[in-house]
Amino acid sequence: MSEQKKYDKQYFLDLAARIYDLDVDVYETLGSSLGRVFGADRDRCVAELASLMRDVKGESEVRNSLALIGNMARTLPDGDDHFRLLTEYNAVLHELSQLPSGLASTDILDEKNARLNELHLENRFQPGQKLIICISRSCGAGASDIGFMLADRLKVDYYDAEIFAAVIRRLEAEQDGVADLFGGSAKQAGSIFERVRQRTTLREKLRQISRYHGLPARDAVFFSQSGLICDMAKRQDFVVMGRCADVVLANARVPHISIFITAPEDLRTRRVMAVNHIDEKKARAMIHRVDRVHAAYYRFYTGRKWGAAENYDLCFNSANYGIQGSIDFIMNTLRLDRFREAKRSAE
Amino acid sequence: MNVPVWLCIPFAGLLACVALGPVLFSEWWEKNEPKAVIAWACAALALCVPVLGAKQTAELAAETLLNDYVSFIVLLFGLYCVAGNITFEGDLAGSPRVNIVLLTMGTLLSSVIGTTGSSMLMIRPVIKMNSWRRHKGHIMIFFIFLVSNLGGCLTPLGDPPLLMGFMRGVPFFWSLHLFAPMLLNMIVLSAVFYPIDLHYYRRDVMRGRRPDISAPGTELKVGGAHNLIFIVMIVSAAIASGVLPNLSAFQDETGAAAGIRVMENVKLTYPALIEIAVILAAAWLSFATTNPENRRKNHFTWASIREVAVLFIGIFITMQPALMLLREYGGKMALTKPWEMFWATGALSSFLDNTPTYLVFLTAAGALGEPAGVSTSLGLVPVRLLEAVSAGAVFMGANTYIGNAPNFMVKSISEENGVSMPSFFGYMKWSLGCLVPVFLLDMLVFFR
Repeated sequence: MSEQKKYDKQYFLDLAARIYDLDVDVYETLGSSLGRVFGADRDRCVAELASLMRDVKGESEVRNSLALIGNMARTLPDGDDHFRLLTEYNAVLHELSQLPSGLASTDILDEKNARLNELHLENRFQPGQKLIICISRSCGAGASDIGFMLADRLKVDYYDAEIFAAVIRRLEAEQDGVADLFGGSAKQAGSIFERVRQRTTLREKLRQISRYHGLPARDAVFFSQSGLICDMAKRQDFVVMGRCADVVLANARVPHISIFITAPEDLRTRRVMAVNHIDEKKARAMIHRVDRVHAAYYRFYTGRKWGAAENYDLCFNSANYGIQGSIDFIMNTLRLDRFREAKRSAE
Repeated sequence: MNVPVWLCIPFAGLLACVALGPVLFSEWWEKNEPKAVIAWACAALALCVPVLGAKQTAELAAETLLNDYVSFIVLLFGLYCVAGNITFEGDLAGSPRVNIVLLTMGTLLSSVIGTTGSSMLMIRPVIKMNSWRRHKGHIMIFFIFLVSNLGGCLTPLGDPPLLMGFMRGVPFFWSLHLFAPMLLNMIVLSAVFYPIDLHYYRRDVMRGRRPDISAPGTELKVGGAHNLIFIVMIVSAAIASGVLPNLSAFQDETGAAAGIRVMENVKLTYPALIEIAVILAAAWLSFATTNPENRRKNHFTWASIREVAVLFIGIFITMQPALMLLREYGGKMALTKPWEMFWATGALSSFLDNTPTYLVFLTAAGALGEPAGVSTSLGLVPVRLLEAVSAGAVFMGANTYIGNAPNFMVKSISEENGVSMPSFFGYMKWSLGCLVPVFLLDMLVFFR
């Protein structure tokens, strides 16, 4: 099958249907009544999903949906169903990663530097301890893909935009134009600032005051997100992207690993251009804008300098390793294989 | 009679103890504050004996206690009791924006139910909403600035000096002349407060503090709302005590307020008795008709009112010589310009009772013989002088903890509820840094 033929409309529809069916399968196998990732209207959901896969802007949404399904599947007790569903999940994930403009398709590897690295590893985690990895990143460094695949490698949950979605649901604030500062693709994050300005009536303003407990919407979302992160940290292992999670967990005295991933601006620009199909000028502008917003947000809520090495356990240049190499680097540096083995033996 | 300045030594000594005691010998002060206060009060009276004579000193003490102190502490007690029975439930989270709204509401309310009433009513919601925060002393400081002082300038209900002015012929709504200075002060102080509060708010957030906003939406509930009736009752009683002495039914044959004679020159007037009776009845009714659970939720104790009652008995007695000096020399100070009146009234109101201070300078302004102005029983008082005296008396009570009745009460309630408040001089640093520049602005804009 030629590549052109393989990635036609039917291919995306079939892959979308597999994701949808996986969700249904996981949901039914779990016997949960708390809702699932996709709605009941299969045709519409599959068509939407296929459309998102064809559009680079939808990349993170598909990934987040798949991450949610994976998170649910991992909660299944060990056995045939667990194995069957995670095998299918891995297969779908592999398919997605093969897409020309899809997940992890555009690496950031600087091969010259990558050859120079040797990984020296230290034992970091005790078996049985909750593993929480907080990843911060500069725009275009490939950190979302690294985080997602790292979570998959560790068989732990991955949280990015879904944390925000949960908070929004909690605050019932979908209609208020509160935008996720960190979620979605770089392009989305770059185009959306803290809050979409809207004209609101007095009644609506009063409703917002009630909904956000008198706080600015951004602060209310931050507080709820922080609460959610701390709650999750008591129950499960996970990888979380951004959200000042490193400082939130440090303040709550929850052990975690904080990682900052960056790369030279030229390489990040190149990647953003490739992923978003935009010219260099726009890509650089987007990188600067997104980084500036992230830095201001981090500074406001933590008082720390975003990206400053002293604030993280591990800072590295993803261009020196590439996406897969970065995952290996994190796994090996933090001796996460031991954690994985301990988890596997515990299961 | 020439009053020697050294008679003011006990007043200065008491102020020094209040300022330095909690800082230099806190443990001793905590245990022995009532004894120290009473000692200074006795010292003041003992020093007065050789100058005034035993009889006049006894009358001075009786007059101060019966007519000044009792009505002061009963009013404070009544409002403290009633406000303590009103609960605000809801999970509005104290943020700079919410605090600005609360301070603005409290400031405007002060002119309706008085600075003391508004302070007692608003202090607990402010403390509760900010309970998730660690750094909140500055909120209470601005609360004292705005709610406990500045806000009371718009009507005679707001602050006792203005009620005295009303009793002497200043029209009821004349005080609205002070709306522009109050608005300017409110805007400037809010503009100063916001970044300070934002700074401390962020500091708390950065250290991982966050309010509990887990409940979907905010539902505000007022418990014991019927107590608002008792607040109205208390405010009405306070106004009545000022208005009734002017009615013939409450006057004796000499035209003075009738009452029970306690000593030759000391009377407990019927209007004062009515005020006391009504306020105590309101307090009793409030306790009798409100679920004790409300007081538990409000962390209601007697400690704050007891502390204020003890401290102010000393302040009221020891400041009498200073007030006598003021009465003797206030009129001779040849103050004719609004800015002079503003600062003189204000500076003295910062430490002394602002009501007699106001009256001294109002009398001085009325005696200037100006051809035009507000017609009062003390003569025609030029509008700008009256504005300056009124603003000085009301605004500058915020300069110290003892400048106005609710100031110390707010401090005491705050400390009882886990808010770290600055010392006497620590508070003055805030007032010097934030208020004095605002008063300079007032002088340049309104009282030149």
